[in-house]
Amino acid sequence: MKTFITFVLMISASVGIAQTEIKGIVKDSKGEPLPGVNVFIQNTYDGTSTKPDGSFSFSSDETGDQILILQSVGFKKQELSVQLTGEPIENNVTLKESIDQLNAVTITAGAMEASDENKAVVLKPLDIVTTPSAMGDVVGALQTLPGTSTVGNDGRLFVRGGDASETAIFIDGLKVGNAFGTTANNVPTRTRFNPNLFKGSFFSTGGYSAEYGQALSSALVLNTVDIPVRNQGDISLMSVGGGYAQTLVGEKNSLTASANYFDLTPYQSLVKQNFDWERSPHGWDASISARQKWGNSGMVKAYLHKESSGMEIWQAEPGVDGKGSLVKIKNDYTYAQSSFKQIGKNDWSYTGGLSYSLNKDQIKLGGLDIVQQTELFHAKGVAVKDFSPAFSTKMGVETYWSGYEQSLVSEDLSRNFMDQQYNAFIESDYYVNNQLIFRGGLRSGYSKLNDELWIDPRASVSYKFRSDGQISFAYGTFSQLPEERFRVVDNELGNTKATHWILNYFHSKNGRTFRAEAFYKGYDQLLTFEGDVQFPEQLRLDGNGVAKGMDFFFRDNKTFKNTDFWITYSLVDSERKFGGYQTSVQPGFAPLHNGSVVVKHFISPLKSQIGMSFSMNDGYTYTNPNIPGEQNSKTKSYQDLSLSWSYLPKPNLIIHLACSNVLGRNNVFGYQYASETNDNNLFTGMPIQQGAPRFLFLGVFLTLSSDKKANQLNNL
Amino acid sequence: MKKYTLIFALFLFGICTSNANDPAYIKAMAKQLEALEKAQTTTDFQEVANGFNRIAEKNSEEWLADYYAGLALVNAGFRSQEGIKEKDAFYHEAKNHVEKAIKAHGENAELLTLKGYALMGELSADPGSRGQHMSSVVMGAFGKALSMDPENPRAMVMMAQMELGMAQFFGQGPEKACGMAQKSMQLFEKEAAKTSEKDISPRWGKDMAEQMITQCK
Repeated sequence: MKTFITFVLMISASVGIAQTEIKGIVKDSKGEPLPGVNVFIQNTYDGTSTKPDGSFSFSSDETGDQILILQSVGFKKQELSVQLTGEPIENNVTLKESIDQLNAVTITAGAMEASDENKAVVLKPLDIVTTPSAMGDVVGALQTLPGTSTVGNDGRLFVRGGDASETAIFIDGLKVGNAFGTTANNVPTRTRFNPNLFKGSFFSTGGYSAEYGQALSSALVLNTVDIPVRNQGDISLMSVGGGYAQTLVGEKNSLTASANYFDLTPYQSLVKQNFDWERSPHGWDASISARQKWGNSGMVKAYLHKESSGMEIWQAEPGVDGKGSLVKIKNDYTYAQSSFKQIGKNDWSYTGGLSYSLNKDQIKLGGLDIVQQTELFHAKGVAVKDFSPAFSTKMGVETYWSGYEQSLVSEDLSRNFMDQQYNAFIESDYYVNNQLIFRGGLRSGYSKLNDELWIDPRASVSYKFRSDGQISFAYGTFSQLPEERFRVVDNELGNTKATHWILNYFHSKNGRTFRAEAFYKGYDQLLTFEGDVQFPEQLRLDGNGVAKGMDFFFRDNKTFKNTDFWITYSLVDSERKFGGYQTSVQPGFAPLHNGSVVVKHFISPLKSQIGMSFSMNDGYTYTNPNIPGEQNSKTKSYQDLSLSWSYLPKPNLIIHLACSNVLGRNNVFGYQYASETNDNNLFTGMPIQQGAPRFLFLGVFLTLSSDKKANQLNNL
Repeated sequence: MKKYTLIFALFLFGICTSNANDPAYIKAMAKQLEALEKAQTTTDFQEVANGFNRIAEKNSEEWLADYYAGLALVNAGFRSQEGIKEKDAFYHEAKNHVEKAIKAHGENAELLTLKGYALMGELSADPGSRGQHMSSVVMGAFGKALSMDPENPRAMVMMAQMELGMAQFFGQGPEKACGMAQKSMQLFEKEAAKTSEKDISPRWGKDMAEQMITQCK
């Protein structure tokens, strides 16, 4: 009974005490008042939100020692001990900004991201397939971005005065060997991989992370989709072939299998070609992609891609009448990879995987019968530790095993090499606050074949202005072993080197993005040789050079309704001594002025999207042997206007029509010259041209699923 | 004997505090629900979200407080005039509340519908570039909610809205969408008959169905 009385007394005592009034003002570290802050006594309902002037005031029935909590998105939660006695208390509090990945500064120097995340993004994944000049090729869309040059007789990615081998391509962090199809000289190629495999990409034109190496100029990192949304079958019928893909999705896993066949024969028999095809390009590919969720946050992916293709083409020789010589190419290619990601305990996370590429080319050239085989095995493991929201470190180890064999079947000759490379890298990010970030990294490598050890430092810093813009700076050194066809001649060849300095300004607000970048890239220890590129002799690493310039990018999807456009200009001032050149020259693949405009407009009543892309440069340099010097001439300006029309009559049906070089301009990429002079004592020249004045593409894409809304807009 | 009655009473009291019938919890929820009903501006909704957040902190055994905090934030996002960045921040925070509730209490049709609603907000903040890839994700969330509870009126009416948007985009008739809106109206009436004004369980969304039905006429 006594206890009961005490109990009652206690209750009435607490009721008896007056409520305590708690008030104050909340400001941020710059002294600005913070509205909307949640202020309350822990474990009670007593609390309020701050007013526009940062002030708060509420009362509580609680007594004694309590904890006052102040929290607001983007700020560190603050806890204060207070004693509630009935006497009013006043607390003026300053909240510190928390490092918030959503709004914090990002490093934009050299980097261009295509993703759905609302960060420093210049492209959306969909842009890759809806850019008319791209014709559904991942790299085709990237060629409308700053820092790149279109080299129409090659088709690969050329970045800031670097040749195509200076760009490394990765899928889910793992290296892809021979990412482009094998082709004949001056016949453009494309990437082997379907753009709908990828949910986004990270394209760097310099100064990139220590995670990536063996690329002097550029890294293209493609990230595959996780688990697709639904079961579906995709049928595609195109003017150049057809294909089918089936996707099965389970609770925790998915499987996609696809097969495609293409043959340009029917198309090329209808549309007149400049090239003299004996057998038009044809081939098939098949792939399987599987995903399995691993626990709550992990994922394992596996992907296998096989393809086979061929072509036979007559290539005329300058100064010689007739069809010239017949080049026959057969290519077989396999790419397999498996990767995982998992979040561990104590703020660790892990990624890694294995990849294997096997490329086999059988080339018949005149009387020669050449077989070349490239193999690449890549294993990688990366661990990331977040020590705090402001400081994280990424570390990883990698090994590359590469093999190359070249044989002249008719002569029964062959040569090969095998190399094992071991790499380790470490990189830390430190956010001083949401405005300022520092990144520093080191990458080391060792090649067994030439017994060389190297270390490349990388560093970048980025500062975000309060008015939305941000400025970034990046520095780094980059090492790359020469191409296999040279290493097989001389196994001792070590790394070629580049040093990048990049200054970037990036501004993105309300559907408008502006990006400006200045760069300086120094080349050292470039490969040089005597004689012809097919039969190089006296290979040395004594070349060097410089590429410098600036580029601009502006994108706007706000100003004009239903219209999205971007404009790019790149200035690349490049000179280098490399390859078979005796002097320092402007490479033929590095035009000085490069520009492009891409416009997309959606017309709702017609259920259609029309696209236009225009790209141009001021011409390609080449050597005219009839006048003294090297790279002493320049072609006329390159210009291409491409148009596309996508029509969606039903949600699951798309009809896509695209045409490149609508104006039929006769673009010239350089000249080939005869090796002997003619009767007039001149070397006869022959322009290197496009395969046809235009390329016309028509495709019908039908998606079958229980949900009739699904379509293949991603596959165009 | 009196002693035992007292112990028993205290015991009961102890049970009550950890139960959804805790009068203090119900009272606090009712107060915030009233504020939610009255909220007009982004600031109002942010305040209400803060209020529900306080309850969620104290009553972590309840999913409804996080649910309503998320709902208030989605509403704040739709009302926001400050551009895509602020809108996204509201939707992001709303999704955090939903994820927190799902993690602690498992998925249910209401939480999935709210998640879909937040995603719908993100989509409508930039339909030009988000429409294509996000519409299937949003519809997926409502679809999953409906498979867990085919009678959920909110999941039904929001699915109807998405269907209407798709039909308009592809120039198709609104029959399917309007049929679903009608169905959702019946479900709302059924729900209203089963529950009372005083209940703190989700009862909102009827105005959406009414608005859609007017549009369909």
